[in-house]
Amino acid sequence: MKRPKTPISITAELKDFLESGVSVVVGTCDSACVPEAVRAWGPRVGRDGRSVSLCVALATSGRALSNLRDNGRVAVTFCLPTNYKTIQLKGRYVGTERPKGQDLAAVERHRDSFLASAARVGVDRRLIEGLWQMELVESAVMLKIRFVAEQAFDQTPGPDAGAQL
Amino acid sequence: MPNLTFLSVVHRLDENHVALSFQFFNKTRANILENPRAQVLVVSPETSEQYRLDLHYLRTETEGPSFERMNTRLDAVASQSGMSNVFKLRGVDIFEVLDCRPVSSELRAEAARKADYLPALDSFTERLSLSGDLDSLLSAALEALSSLFGCPHSFVLFSDEEGKRLYTAASHGFEPSGVGSEVPIGEGMLGVAAERHASVRTTNLTREMILTRAVRAAIERRGEQALLETEIPLPGLPNTQSQLVLPLLVRDSLQGVLCLQDQTPGRFLTTDERVLQIAARHLAAAMSNIRLPVSAFRKVALTRKGAFSKRSSVVKHYKSDDSIFIDDAYLIKGIPGRLLWKLLAAFVGTGRIAFTNKEIRLDAALRLPDIKDNLETRLILLRRRLDERCEFMRLVHAGRGQLHLEVRCKLTLEDLP
Repeated sequence: MKRPKTPISITAELKDFLESGVSVVVGTCDSACVPEAVRAWGPRVGRDGRSVSLCVALATSGRALSNLRDNGRVAVTFCLPTNYKTIQLKGRYVGTERPKGQDLAAVERHRDSFLASAARVGVDRRLIEGLWQMELVESAVMLKIRFVAEQAFDQTPGPDAGAQL
Repeated sequence: MPNLTFLSVVHRLDENHVALSFQFFNKTRANILENPRAQVLVVSPETSEQYRLDLHYLRTETEGPSFERMNTRLDAVASQSGMSNVFKLRGVDIFEVLDCRPVSSELRAEAARKADYLPALDSFTERLSLSGDLDSLLSAALEALSSLFGCPHSFVLFSDEEGKRLYTAASHGFEPSGVGSEVPIGEGMLGVAAERHASVRTTNLTREMILTRAVRAAIERRGEQALLETEIPLPGLPNTQSQLVLPLLVRDSLQGVLCLQDQTPGRFLTTDERVLQIAARHLAAAMSNIRLPVSAFRKVALTRKGAFSKRSSVVKHYKSDDSIFIDDAYLIKGIPGRLLWKLLAAFVGTGRIAFTNKEIRLDAALRLPDIKDNLETRLILLRRRLDERCEFMRLVHAGRGQLHLEVRCKLTLEDLP
């Protein structure tokens, strides 16, 4: 697929969704199209309305980070457990940096709201808390990934999954 | 460019293969046909451990055991949610598992725990073998499922003679018991399991229903509401998360279904299904082995048990559907209704309280279907409904093919159209 050159503009409505209690997974692939996914926390849409940052546990994202540095191609899916509404952003990796206080605060907020939405569909809070505790079992270091969204898709399950927004 | 999507179920086929469902033609589908490499991220519901499965797409199956198994499960959920025309399994995508890696390298992928179910199965079959009649067999089986296998909420439904409906004959861990409630064969998870003679297992019903509702909403947005049917409520526990429906089969003939429910997600895993399938097969065999001794008709003089109440009650029988109402409260309908009416008419007319199964079976006026095992299941249903709904009337299983009607008040019968 030919990559569009211009970044898309993330609307206020979409921003609210991306920063709500969604499940966030980052998809990458290497030069041979071998995929590697990693769960991410604390998504934040930048002031420019184009870039998005999120945090991953360093210990769980070795191959994904290497893929991002290698080819920069990234797909991130945001799914709300209470209704399965799912959005996928595809775009270009910009870089990594150490998360700042506001990034870690976003991680905390995201975990709380994800916990709340998962609890509403009967998922035990210990399971969700376990998710991030397990990710940090080796090292508590988190890394912030920044990317620019170039395409957005409705990935909600059903006949229209995959439709471009 | 990578593509990432959420899946509801990853089926483990064997040590090296998994299956994913293929329902809609979409981007994910196109991608997998173009590039066979995929990865799924799965989470253990017990420990929160995440694993990455590196996959290689092999083929799509549109028939065979893997397809049938997934198709039954999907049809069952679709039927429950009124989506039979929408949720069609087009195929099962079979992937080879190249690697299974824990997300945190500190964790090590461990083989699934092998619980020892042999003692429980041993006790289960022993308890069943001690039951001499169908009623006590069902009670013993459901109690044993609770105490031996930790399944406190269960019910058994029998198939009617036309093979059109299932009716609840016994339950454990439900208030009210639900005995007498009916499910059409072919509809919902219970009905589909009965129709296909296949087990249906659900590990997270809330999530499953949310997923189907999301698809439902998409269908509505496309203006294709005509494809949708009404979502039907699931019988049993409120907030059921895990459900296992096991057909009770003897020589591939459906006796009924055993349904286990739990409010915890992930309660019934593959191993549980296998073990409980063995228990269900044993129960079905035990059910079919029970043949009530048909004793010669004997008139037995009986003393009425319990104090005779001074009150009186009106029992109404509506011929149109053989429904029985006691003091205007519905009790039962159909064949059990017809049976009770017959017994009550004899009781009020002649004071008779002892009956034999054989005379009931041979009574042409009752128009009983020509399947002898069904009389016993109808009597169980009738007995349990009376126990639950009526304080002054009981049907007592008196052994040797005998049945006693105990009535502790004055009855007035009204036969209505």
